Amino acid sequence: MGSNDLSVLTLERVSKRFDQTIAVDDLSFSVEQGTVFGFLGGNGAGKTTSLRMVLDIIRPTSGKIDVLGRPPGRENAAEIGFLPEERGLYRQMTALDTIAYFGRLKGMATADAKREGAALLDRFGLAENAKMSVDKLSKGMAQKVQLATALVNRPRLLILDEPFSGLDPVNQGLLEDEIRRISAGGSTVVFSTHVMQHAERLCDRLLLLGRGRKMFEGTLDDARAQLPARLALVAKNDPSRLPGVESADDRGEAEPGWRRWDVRLEPGVEPGHVLEQCVAEQFALRRFEQVHASLHDVFVHIVGTPEIEQ
Amino acid sequence: MKNVLIVAAREFRQIASMRSFWLTLLIMPLSIAAGAVAPQLFDKDQADRVMIIDRTGGSEAQALGQRFRLDEARNELSALSRYVQRHHLERADPRALWAQHDRWYSDADVARFVAAGGAAAAKAKIARVKAEDTPEFTPPEPDFELVPVPASLAKVPDAQLDNALKPVLKPTDKDAEAVDYVILVPASFGESPLVRLWANKQPSQQFVGTVQEVLTRDLRTRFLAAQGVSPGAAERASTIAPALAISTPPPGGGAREAMLVRSILPLAAAYLLMISLMLSGSWMLQGTVEERSNKLLETVLACVSPQELMYGKLLGTAGVGLFMIAVWVGCGIFAGYATHGAIADLIRPALDPLTSPGTILALIYFFVVGYVTIAILFLAIGAMSDSMRDAQGYLMPVLLLILLPITILMQAVLGGNNGGVLMEVLTWVPIWTPFAVLARLGLGIPTWEVVGTGILLAAFTAAEMVLLGRLFRASLLAQGQRPNVREVISRMRAVPS
Repeated sequence: MGSNDLSVLTLERVSKRFDQTIAVDDLSFSVEQGTVFGFLGGNGAGKTTSLRMVLDIIRPTSGKIDVLGRPPGRENAAEIGFLPEERGLYRQMTALDTIAYFGRLKGMATADAKREGAALLDRFGLAENAKMSVDKLSKGMAQKVQLATALVNRPRLLILDEPFSGLDPVNQGLLEDEIRRISAGGSTVVFSTHVMQHAERLCDRLLLLGRGRKMFEGTLDDARAQLPARLALVAKNDPSRLPGVESADDRGEAEPGWRRWDVRLEPGVEPGHVLEQCVAEQFALRRFEQVHASLHDVFVHIVGTPEIEQ
Repeated sequence: MKNVLIVAAREFRQIASMRSFWLTLLIMPLSIAAGAVAPQLFDKDQADRVMIIDRTGGSEAQALGQRFRLDEARNELSALSRYVQRHHLERADPRALWAQHDRWYSDADVARFVAAGGAAAAKAKIARVKAEDTPEFTPPEPDFELVPVPASLAKVPDAQLDNALKPVLKPTDKDAEAVDYVILVPASFGESPLVRLWANKQPSQQFVGTVQEVLTRDLRTRFLAAQGVSPGAAERASTIAPALAISTPPPGGGAREAMLVRSILPLAAAYLLMISLMLSGSWMLQGTVEERSNKLLETVLACVSPQELMYGKLLGTAGVGLFMIAVWVGCGIFAGYATHGAIADLIRPALDPLTSPGTILALIYFFVVGYVTIAILFLAIGAMSDSMRDAQGYLMPVLLLILLPITILMQAVLGGNNGGVLMEVLTWVPIWTPFAVLARLGLGIPTWEVVGTGILLAAFTAAEMVLLGRLFRASLLAQGQRPNVREVISRMRAVPS
């Protein structure tokens, strides 16, 4: 797999081994500019290790990584924003100084870092807390400051490792908005998560990891297509005898003489084809609805592990 | 390099924002100030009141009184000499006794001083040459004041004096002044050596010594006279004493006292290195542990390399340590040259080594490299520890290893010992080298040894930077149990890819 001109991140056959443990195994993918890329997997799937290699915090055992057209390294820091899974702040520093400090480490001038930090705090509703030391902020406020440290340099590539973990609902919404805002501005967002709802709502493309190996890569529709289609019917008779139907489960009476059915189609059978058969055979229907598979179902189907949240 | 400086600046600011930093910083100036004030606090504000009941006719009371006055004049002359030396006023009368410093004033000298008009005459001469802003000479308070024997006591028989003296020594009337010492010289003194002393407190050694010396001389005179020696010859025989000529050697001349004064600066440097290292090292350790326990490291390491982080922390902490030293040394220099008193008199000659460029160079080199050598140990311990409790487990044996021999070394240097196997071992083992060389600089250490240990220390520090740098890097993101010795060695051997 090769990178193209639009790729901001490319991994080619990357593996990482810790002693006898293979954390990442022959992983290849690329992320195009302006997309929101979801990195999905259960605990220990290799998500954090992969992101650390992208940031040059650890080095791969083999393979090649290309970030913003360069090998991983701190020289990329000026164009990258990073929010790790395990987050913390210097407790004695003020909110603004903390953001400015990380801005400076990313190559910004002090004045620019302070100006941008103040703007972010203002946007997050923390303008009045700018001079407050971190240990005096609430947990929710500290989470916003942490996010600001990742955004201060207006990154071209924002890497978020389990960004929603530990966030309160308000901050989860704030983070989703920020991800959309950054993506709309042409930047690329790569985030890892084991919570499928966020990925469903935000991601243009997904990569499913299982035990360090890539199990799937594609769009949300591509992912759903991995599972046979399902239908929700209200019918007088058992639909399981219809052509293309793999199984039909009776879900109880809908109204006198009519019953609800959960229908699973055979792989490759289109719901429209089944509807045509119902009409042709005068199969009595009061409801015909296609049920989209959730990402959770797709994940369980592909990876075969329930170690994720819906 | 820019990131190293940014990290260093943050470390410096973080430590400087701590209350304990400022408290520590103020310790030295406060100690100097306390040192200047303490002697005044400890000084007696009143002379001890002495009553002499002389039943021999008054000759013993007269002899004792003369001696007290002589000692008082000697104290005055010594104080005047120190004053003249401190303010460089010898030109007022270069031949005067008070213009001749660092010497013991004999009784004859003191008698000459008194005969020449004493302090009043000296002050008049000095007034002609002293600058307007030079403070006036203040003579010391006398140690003893003779009080007359009241008539009511003069006739009390010796056997009843115990009771009769009670109200004198411990008066019940609040306005009455207590007598501190009462001496009874009985009428039989000469035939019997017994003399009685009452005191309302533990008698001072100085007082008892003076009384004993005067009365001993008198007893000897009486004894010689009884042996047929003429009274004049007996008197002269009793006063025979060696004329002790004391020579103060020039600085570096070899006398132990002078040497110790010269050793103060290097010794102080060794102590300051130790103190500032322990303090700033523990602050750095705390900062590193905080980064680990607060899960900050991954964010930081996305922006700076482990090496940059390590060098930044070292630089920041070294900056804190050196800032502390600069403030302390500045206070010392201020106290030495801008103030007057015992502390200033001690500090000024102690700063003499700073006139030698070689000594300055050695002081700075061993101080800075010594700082880095030990500070990096603290840094590695911080990187391996998830909490301060974890860190203490590593720290205690390391501190004992470093500090215990140094304490012995300091004692040896203070005792004037500058040799022996232990001293050589401490000088040549790199973790102790900075302390040993700094401590020995004032006593005299061969140049080849300074250069040799300096090279060895530089090589050791470079190797330490490589090995502990690897340990630091490998430990930063490692989690789980505290690494055992095998794991620590394995991390040191791991070459970064």
